[in-house]
Amino acid sequence: MKLFKNYIGICLLAAASFGLPACNKKLDVIPGGQIVPNQIKSQGDVEAVIKGIYSNLQDPNAFGERNLLMADLLGDEGEISFEGTFLNYRLVQEKNQDKNSSIVEGMWQRSYYTINNANLVLENLDKVSKDSKEAFEAEARFLRGLVYFNLCNFYAKPYSAGNVTSTLAVPLILKATIGQENLKDSYQGRATLDAVHKQILEDLLFAAEKLPEYIGNGRADKYVASAILSRVYLSEGKYEEAATAANEVIESGEYALTSSYSKAFNNASNSTEDVFAIQQTNQSNSGTTNNGLTTFYGGYDYGSRGDIIIDLDALPVTFEANDERGNFFYENYGINVDDGMYTTKWRDQYKVIPIVRLAELYLTRAEANFRAGTTIGADPIDDVNEVRHRSGASVLNKITVDDIVEERVRELLFEGDKIWTYKRLKKDFGSLSYLYDKLIFPIPQREIDVNTKLKDQQNPGY
Amino acid sequence: MLRFFSMVGMLLILSIFSFAQVGQLTGKVTDAKDGTPLPGVTVKVKNSNIGTITDATGTYHLSVPSSAVFLTFSFVGFADHEIAIAGHSTINIALQSGNKDLSEVIVVGYGTLTKKDVTGSISKVASKEVENQPVASLESAIQGKVPGVVIESGSGKVGQGIKVRVRGTSSISASSQPLYVIDGMPVNTTSRSDIYNDETNPMADINPNDIESIEVLKDASAAAIYGARGANGVILITTKKGKAGEKTKLELNANNTWGRPTKKRGFLNAQDYIDLLHERAVNDGKLSFAAGYNPVNPALPPFASEAEAIDYMTKRVDNALKSFSLGKDLKSLGYTTDWESLMFRDPAHSQQIDLSATGGNEKTKFYVSGFYINQQSIVKNNDFKRYGGRLNLEHNASDRVSLGMNVNISRSQLDRVSNDNSFSTPGQLVAQSPVSPYLDDNGEINNSTLYPNGLYDAQFNTSSMITFRTLGNVFLNYKILPSLSFRSELGADISTINEDSYIGVLASDAFGKGFGSSFISQDVALNTNNYFSFNPQLGGDHTLSATAGMSYLQDDFNSTQVQGELFPSDIIKKLAAAASITFGSTQAQRYTFLSYFARANYSYKNKYIASISVRSDGSSRFGPNNRYGIFPAGSVAWVLSEEEFLKSNPTLTYLKVRASYGSTGNAEIGENRFLTLLSPTSYPQLPGYRPTQMGNPDLKWERTNQVDVGIEFGLFDNRFSGEIDYYNKQTSDLLLKANLPYTSGYGFQYMNIGSMENKGVEIMLNSINIRNRNFKWTTTLNLAYNKNRVKNIGGQIIESTGGEQRAVEGEPIGVFYMPKFAGVDPKTGEALYVDGSGKNTTSYSDAVKMVVGKSNPDWTGGFTNTFSSHGFDLSVFFSFVQGNNIYNRAGIYQDNGFASGYDNQRVDVLNRWQKPNDITNVPRLSRYFSNGANQMSSRWISDGSYIRLKSATLGYNLPKQALDVLKISGLRLYVAGYNLWTKTKFVGDPEVNSDVMGNIAGGIDYYTIPQAKQVTVGVNVKF
Repeated sequence: MKLFKNYIGICLLAAASFGLPACNKKLDVIPGGQIVPNQIKSQGDVEAVIKGIYSNLQDPNAFGERNLLMADLLGDEGEISFEGTFLNYRLVQEKNQDKNSSIVEGMWQRSYYTINNANLVLENLDKVSKDSKEAFEAEARFLRGLVYFNLCNFYAKPYSAGNVTSTLAVPLILKATIGQENLKDSYQGRATLDAVHKQILEDLLFAAEKLPEYIGNGRADKYVASAILSRVYLSEGKYEEAATAANEVIESGEYALTSSYSKAFNNASNSTEDVFAIQQTNQSNSGTTNNGLTTFYGGYDYGSRGDIIIDLDALPVTFEANDERGNFFYENYGINVDDGMYTTKWRDQYKVIPIVRLAELYLTRAEANFRAGTTIGADPIDDVNEVRHRSGASVLNKITVDDIVEERVRELLFEGDKIWTYKRLKKDFGSLSYLYDKLIFPIPQREIDVNTKLKDQQNPGY
Repeated sequence: MLRFFSMVGMLLILSIFSFAQVGQLTGKVTDAKDGTPLPGVTVKVKNSNIGTITDATGTYHLSVPSSAVFLTFSFVGFADHEIAIAGHSTINIALQSGNKDLSEVIVVGYGTLTKKDVTGSISKVASKEVENQPVASLESAIQGKVPGVVIESGSGKVGQGIKVRVRGTSSISASSQPLYVIDGMPVNTTSRSDIYNDETNPMADINPNDIESIEVLKDASAAAIYGARGANGVILITTKKGKAGEKTKLELNANNTWGRPTKKRGFLNAQDYIDLLHERAVNDGKLSFAAGYNPVNPALPPFASEAEAIDYMTKRVDNALKSFSLGKDLKSLGYTTDWESLMFRDPAHSQQIDLSATGGNEKTKFYVSGFYINQQSIVKNNDFKRYGGRLNLEHNASDRVSLGMNVNISRSQLDRVSNDNSFSTPGQLVAQSPVSPYLDDNGEINNSTLYPNGLYDAQFNTSSMITFRTLGNVFLNYKILPSLSFRSELGADISTINEDSYIGVLASDAFGKGFGSSFISQDVALNTNNYFSFNPQLGGDHTLSATAGMSYLQDDFNSTQVQGELFPSDIIKKLAAAASITFGSTQAQRYTFLSYFARANYSYKNKYIASISVRSDGSSRFGPNNRYGIFPAGSVAWVLSEEEFLKSNPTLTYLKVRASYGSTGNAEIGENRFLTLLSPTSYPQLPGYRPTQMGNPDLKWERTNQVDVGIEFGLFDNRFSGEIDYYNKQTSDLLLKANLPYTSGYGFQYMNIGSMENKGVEIMLNSINIRNRNFKWTTTLNLAYNKNRVKNIGGQIIESTGGEQRAVEGEPIGVFYMPKFAGVDPKTGEALYVDGSGKNTTSYSDAVKMVVGKSNPDWTGGFTNTFSSHGFDLSVFFSFVQGNNIYNRAGIYQDNGFASGYDNQRVDVLNRWQKPNDITNVPRLSRYFSNGANQMSSRWISDGSYIRLKSATLGYNLPKQALDVLKISGLRLYVAGYNLWTKTKFVGDPEVNSDVMGNIAGGIDYYTIPQAKQVTVGVNVKF
């Protein structure tokens, strides 16, 4: 108050003398809760921008919910039922989503926000010491590659369908938008699936080479990059490379399968087999009432909506009686459900969301070795039995490649994997072809409206 | 009677003489009828150029030479009158005038003018128009009364935001709400409430009964003195002040109001609901089999036969119905739950009481009031309470110095329901199944309903917002010279808001945990105005008044928000009982405005008047590149009736033409929009930043240039008078929230793109139809036409939040833009839409979006008749709007033929298509083959025009004899009805706007609570 009165005095004097400098200063107001780009000055500031990327990944439009949930709804063949009131979710399950869907738009939006965040790191590397520069670059490029891979999966025809040099994927943006001067660079048409995949591989390979072996706090290290790399290779049918990348992770000795299947889920921090996971706490999470993976998958008694019920008779795989995975369900209810079965994987709120578990890498190595006719790291049957044994399933004496794929579906059910496995193997979804138009998302209409370069690039069927 | 009215001129009565040496002459001119001061009277020494005009308090000061003999008093529309000076130094005069309107004081911002000297377009509303109405805030009270000011309260909920548009919407992404100024201080009108609920109305902290007058500055010449903040018009509120030389007057107001909804929509009863759902199942079964796939999940195998498909679909319906009815036998249900009626109070009851006192002497004057209001909304769980007080004090310390303060302190409490888009809001109860019982088998409110039962949750949940508002200013006037004075004002507008909400452990969306939230915010706006007023004596024919000064506004907003969950039970609803704190944050943000302004008014012979003003504004809202804006305006007026050729015209008593042109600005886009920003992130263990806003360093003021031409006239001694204005408002450099491709990493950027215009006509007519000793009948009509057009927005698509409305170039803002419904195919019962080539199609995805209506009316207005006789008075006020459309957003749920599931349907669905060759506008029932029934289309657009009996008031004033017996000076008893009658084509209440504050959004009904139909009984006592 006193200060203010002083200023009045000053302003009055200024008004009287027609000189205004003192008052004019009052017009310089610093933002109360944000920073401006030129406040990124030190290595610590740049690291803070890297950390910001993880918060983008935790968003419900990314790995906090939809990257997994939409994969499960879209790839559903009758094993799950969306009983909630949110129409956009139901439409995805009915394979009837449209180009104005808030889900389709939200996932696209969050992906590019994340990419811009990563690009902003890359453009501020001059503030980082020589020792850390490559590691910073590698971490940002890994996260960018991860997001582009996910974008390709949802918005483009699968790589397995071929014609990758003519199939359209998504716009490839590799520069941060900081000011007016480079804004126009973000108006781009869709790059080909080939071009985007090449960029993904380039980013991930750089990351796998330059990232340290361990960073901590759930940040991506060398092995996380290798794990995602194995997925990309698998999707491209490059089996030997996939096996090698998976082997890197398994052989690192950093991870171990949990002693039981249930110990791999609903953990407050990474389990021994979590290679990469989204961290959550009661104060930082992807949502608890209208958003978040557990919000939909979890039962009401566990604080969730209970919108997604599982039809145990319609599961795409069968389980042996002693297989812990076959009993990893519980009976509960939801806001719109009187009684139903729920998956235990996404039961508890505020727990980490595993994105890559070691079990997946065993199965990737097994399948890739099998298909390539190699035995990098281990014999496929040993990898499969490693995973089966942990859950109490019988140990197999001989396996086919279909057994490995089936084991993968069994192990990773409701973790958003099945749809990509089917697509890369050109396997149909019940009575729907794996190439069915609506098994991929449209380019959001809003984006086409804003960016004329996308005008004639909508996916077929929309 | 005729003689009474033909008394042209003024009757002068010398009331007080005091003897002294002639030199300085002073005095006061008052109205003989009620003793109120008469400003604007020209006082002149006869046969000289020495003269002055009376100021706002009716006072004049004049230096007269000893040779002066007579003083003349002249006033627009009347012949001159003279009086001998005869050695007096003080001559106080009471005038009996026939046309007091022209001497009315008009508050114009940093000063006042008399009505006759006004060159801009200003509408004034007097206190009696806003007093004692069952409304939370003053805007509702003036709705329909000011031409060109469109006021929309949005719903029947209390305490909600109110949309006010002066001469149309002039912005797209910046706020188009007018600036409110109370006693010279701009006040905060932005909702500071929880962003997840409807916006609230900070003006509800002001007691309407404390208001003396409201002036609406509409054209550029009037508003430009508020420069950068004037483009949306300015509403100046003047509170009641003390009056000198009277005994202290006490006034008591008390009233009670009872309300019910104006309209219910009508939903299916249980039997029809069951039958129609079965019909839907049969349709879906047939259509599924024909289509060759199972629409529940196309990955499942197709049906083998039609019968199998029908059976499959019927079983699904039966399972649902069984669940809704809590397992009852549907064949003998025997009841229908009327959810629509259950959401309302019957009736809602409100009370209001306030007591005020005015008085004072020559040195000190005061107005003091205390007020209390307790309003119940017609919808359950929504209440508004306000109590507080006001003190307005002015003291003359010496001949040169006067000082004082105006202060309002209030506490408002708004108990809220959630917004229209929440399942828990009572308005959405209509979606519940009529087979769901209200009470379950244990006699508790049933919670196993289709959607969470808002009435069940209401038992456990609370949400209230308490606002402590201190609003006031201190001022000092210093008379440097008789013609030059300086005024300094320092004002503060301090709101402390405490918003607490609690979701009980047992509530359906509490998941057994219970949620609590506390949001405490403080908004401190400090404002100072410092200006000189110059009123030189230039001689009789010339009058000049000038003002110059500066203003500085600084607003600091601070907030603290905490959320928690896991409560042991519902006994303690504060976060102290929350086992887990899930969110906590504090925030602070400031904005500032620094302005310099000047204005001059010049009048020659009371005939030719010119005014010029300029204001320079700087704001923290813009970057250094474009921080300042300059907003000039000028206006002229010609009082033709003062010319010799009209002066003695017996018919045309008064005629004035005026014209103005000027520029005003808008900066209401919130803070920091010109900066590229990164926001802090809170990933566990990894505190960081991520980019969240794309800046624009060149962002600048949105500018509105406006032409106004007006005519004011009075006929037959002003028994018939009126005012007509034409305006053309051109807004350029629109502050547009332009979409960016998400590939940029951002969703939008504020840019100065495009232009928009508003053109219109405003008409105000007053007529005294009959006036005699026993009976008086007056009529007032106000009428306004506005045509808005978005001229250019650089090809941007700017949609409303709901996506139904857009800004489209060449169209008025807020057109409804969606597929056009073209009826029902009589062969198949499918809905038809218009495709890209103009043909009808059954494919919703082939339908093209087009302009199918608009939310802003062409014509708005009000029509008032008042009658008085023998102490009785009756006032009947109709308001109307014409030319707008309303979109029922809930139509896609409540009129969709069960396409979205089991939402109960409006009774219109009984007219559905059932078999080939049925001619109807309601498509067949289907969940899976409903082709667009649950997606937006013009099917739910209606004509929104209405005429409504907004109020009818009957009052009785006790006669003098009775008052003398009671020893009081006045007693008035009244009964009033509000919204008693409405004519409209819309299915709900036509005064509806779910997204209240939007520029593009408007005219949306989304389970919105209708307006209340109310009856008030009240008393007004003066002591």
